[in-house]
Formats: sequence, C-alpha cells, structure tokens
Amino acid sequence: MQHLETSPDHSTVSPSAKAVVFEQVSVRLNNVSILEDVTATVPRGEITAVVGPNGAGKTTLLLALLGQVPFSGNIRTERAAAGRPCNVGYVPQRLQFDRGLPITVCDLLVMGCQRIPLWLGIRRAWRSQARELLAAVRAEHLERRRLGVLSGGEIQRIMLALALAQTPDLLVLDEPAGGVDIQGGQMFCELLERLRRERAFTPLMVTHDLATVTHHATHVIMLNRRVVAEGPPRAVLTPQNLGAVFGMHMGLADARALPDGSSTCTCPQCGEKRHD
Amino acid sequence: MIDFSPIHDLLGRLLPFECLQARFMQQALLGLLLIAPMAAAMGVQVVNLRMAFFADAISHSAFAGVALGLILAVGPQWTMPLFGLLVGLAIMALQRRSTLSTDAVIGVVFAAVVAFGLAIVSRQPNIARDLQRFLYGDILTIGDHGIRSLAALFVAVFVFQIWGYNRLLYIGLNPVVAQTHGVQVTTYQYAFAGLTALVVIFSIWAVGVLLVTALLIVPAAAARGFARSAGSTFWWAMLVSVTSAVAGLLISAQPWARTATGPTIILCAFGWFLVSQLYAALRQ
Repeated sequence: MQHLETSPDHSTVSPSAKAVVFEQVSVRLNNVSILEDVTATVPRGEITAVVGPNGAGKTTLLLALLGQVPFSGNIRTERAAAGRPCNVGYVPQRLQFDRGLPITVCDLLVMGCQRIPLWLGIRRAWRSQARELLAAVRAEHLERRRLGVLSGGEIQRIMLALALAQTPDLLVLDEPAGGVDIQGGQMFCELLERLRRERAFTPLMVTHDLATVTHHATHVIMLNRRVVAEGPPRAVLTPQNLGAVFGMHMGLADARALPDGSSTCTCPQCGEKRHD
Repeated sequence: MIDFSPIHDLLGRLLPFECLQARFMQQALLGLLLIAPMAAAMGVQVVNLRMAFFADAISHSAFAGVALGLILAVGPQWTMPLFGLLVGLAIMALQRRSTLSTDAVIGVVFAAVVAFGLAIVSRQPNIARDLQRFLYGDILTIGDHGIRSLAALFVAVFVFQIWGYNRLLYIGLNPVVAQTHGVQVTTYQYAFAGLTALVVIFSIWAVGVLLVTALLIVPAAAARGFARSAGSTFWWAMLVSVTSAVAGLLISAQPWARTATGPTIILCAFGWFLVSQLYAALRQ
C-alpha cells in the first residue's frame, strides 16, 4: 500500500496536530441558547482546559462532543495514530449514582469489558486488567471496596481508571478537581499528567478552577457561551479577559501562580515549563 | 407441542408434599418456577435503574389490556401482553423525549391506561370474576398453554440477561459514561422496557396486579442487604424469589392457612427482606 506512506505520519506528533476541532458549534435547549458559534481546536498531546463562569456552557460543550446533546455545526475528532477511530474516555463531574448499588470497584472496572455476566464470575484476564488500572491510579487497595462507601476523591480516581480501560486517545474530564480539596485536586492533576506521558492521550478538561489551569494546562479555551479567547494560558488568562468573563478583577498577575502561593513546585511538568 | 407431564411428575416426586400431588398444583409450581427467576432477574435491574413505578404502571395497564380484548373480541391472553408491551415502549419513548420528569411521565400514562380500562370494564357487569383474577392473581388455574408462554419468555429473558446484564448495570450507574464506553444505551433501554413489560404482565398470573411490582422489587431489595458485589446480588435475588414462590405456594395450600397464593408469596419475600435488613445492620 504505497500511497499510505504519503499520508501524514501520525506516529510523531507534529505541533499542529489536532485532536478535536469544533466548527461553529451552537446548542439550543428549550429555546435557550447555551452555546453560540463555538470554533476552537484541541491540540493533540497538549493539556487543554475549557474555562468559564457557571452557565458558560462548558459542560454542554463536552456533552456535544460526546454526542449527548443535539448541536448544529461540526465537531471532528481526528483519527488516532494507528488510523483507527479516536477512542474517547470520559470522567464525569462528581459521578451521580445510587450509593446503595451493590457493586465493587472491581465489578465497575470489569463490567464495560467483560461480556459474560458478572453473576457467572469475573474472568482472570479482566480481573488482572482491573488491578493494573487500579495500580495506574494508585488505588490498588480499593479493589474489593463497594463503590458506595468511597470518598469523592477516590471515586474520581476510579472513574479515571475506568476511562483508561477504554485506552483513550482523547480523555474528557468534567471538573476533575471539583468536589475534592485543593490537595486532592493537585494530586489528581499530577496523576493525570503522569498517565498522559505514559499512555499518550490528549486530556481535555472543563474547570472553573483557574489555579488548576495555570498549573497544568498548556492550551486554554475561554468560554462564555461563545469563545472569548483561545491559546496558551499566558495569552488567554489576561486581566482584561478574566474581568470581562468573570465580571470581577481577578488579579492573576503571574499566570504561573501556584494554588498555595509558593514560588516553586516539585512536579516534573512545572520544571519543564519553567525552562521557557 | 411439548408435553409437560414428565416435569410435573418429577416436581411431585421431588417435593413429596401431599398438596403437591394434584396436577393443578404441579402446574402452578412449574409456572412459579418459571416466573420467580424472571421476576428476580429483571427486578434487580428495575431497582438499579429506579424503574419500580414503571413496573407498577405496566401492571395496571392490564385492566386496559383486558378491556381492549373485550372491545376487539380477542382473548385477554393476547391483548394483555401486547398492550403492556406497547405501554412500556411508549413510556420509554416519552421519557426520553419529554422535558417532564420520569415519574410525571409514568404517572400520566398510568392514569390514562387505568382510566381507559376501568371505563370499559364498568360497562360490562359480568366480568367481575375476571377482575378478581387480575387483582389477586390466579396461578392455580394456569394451564399448559400458559406454561408454554412462560417457558418462551423465560428463554428470552435469560438470553437477554446473559447478553446484557453488565451493560444494564453500567447504564444504571451512569448512562453517559456507559455510552462513551460503547454501550448502545438506547437499544438496551428499549429492550429492557419491553421485556420488563412482558415479565410484569405474565407475573400478574402469579400474584395479581396489586402485588406484581413487589414480586420484582422485594427480592432485589432483599438481595441488596445480603450481597456485596454485582454478581452475588443476582444470585441472592434468585434465591429469595424462588424460595418465596415455592414456600408461598405450599403454605397457601395448607388447611390451616388457606390464603391466596400471591399474597402469601409476597409475605415470604418480605420475611426475607426483614432478615436481609437485620443482616446488613449486624454487618456494619
């Protein structure tokens, strides 16, 4: 198949490679306009954050991407490196579920993969895959725990493990630091960063937590029903933009400001970023 | 046509109670042994998907199903399941499209089908006996025709359970996450609604319109008290449902009890539920 070699080589990620392209995406629900004419890109291999105030349509944009709300316009997810359709993983915002549901963490990680019903047992291969995923999110000890007794942060990590089970090319996270304390949010983001390096997926997160954005994201889409600004954090999170969107003076003088105000950070990606 | 008499004889020998030597009791037992596991299996998912009210609406559509049979001069054994299936799929379609909450949608359909059924039935003074059968259940009059229908449904339900148990559990946890993981949420929801409707209608035979939801819900609720994992929930629900059905039938036939079979079965299941709550409380 000679002609394939002339097609763009996906194995090495070029800086301009895109994971998702939103083209003039509009969403109206019950005659209320939620998103208007959103055109934005999610660069492959970078951490993209969608920021904006409450009601800006951040979650709706993700749901449109996941095919959960009707929209006009176009959303293209680029094919994965191997040429297969893009696998999308999804980590929802504070998973709403029935806490009485009698299901263990292991059940959860197996049920999307194993066809044989869980009441006929869990096959050894799937159980060991579940253990690997739990080890990847540092939650081995939760394997036999019931889902209903876990804390918000633990559920967040389990949902991340569940999304990893789909070997995602694109990982969509809705408020990954929501519902957990600052330290928990920080740990989660560092975990995410390590997994991104190991497993080479493109994270796309929605957040209203600007500290997370400045610390972790390399590409920002600022949304307030329409795209206000898009680009690197330093260019997007300007006092003017923040004031216009959040309606107050967010004196974010240093776009690299850390959540706890300390001047140095130990996590690897920060050291790397500071070279610039 | 399948001859069920060897199975009936076997049941009579396996459970050598005096009351189980009559053929109609053996037929009733076989009918219950088909209904109870179906109700338990679907019930686990009905509880997971919070669809108890849905099951209730289907069971009450039985009135309208009978009424339709009267109008169209077709036997209720055809109109009841078909109408129940139709109502189940209609509710699912409405709740997926409407902005009303699920319970409001079901409430509206519920009211409509019951009103329709009662309006037609009230014009027919001579079907009071039939009505009583639907209210309390009538497993003792089940014939080979009924058993055959149940056996066919049994196969369909368990093929679906084997194929879709994990997927339905996933949808019960969070439909959006399930969808992104490649689960055909819509297909499973409709298939589940349709099969649940059929199981509910056929379970009316065992326990009647008033108690049919209990036959699905109570074993599943009791199972939640005992089980620790998704797999064991299924088996606990089976155990509770089948033992309650058999015990209910046997007790109702005792000279000292002489109660209706349906309510006796549900009381046995409720006994299990109390034990499960006690067990859950002690375990904590």
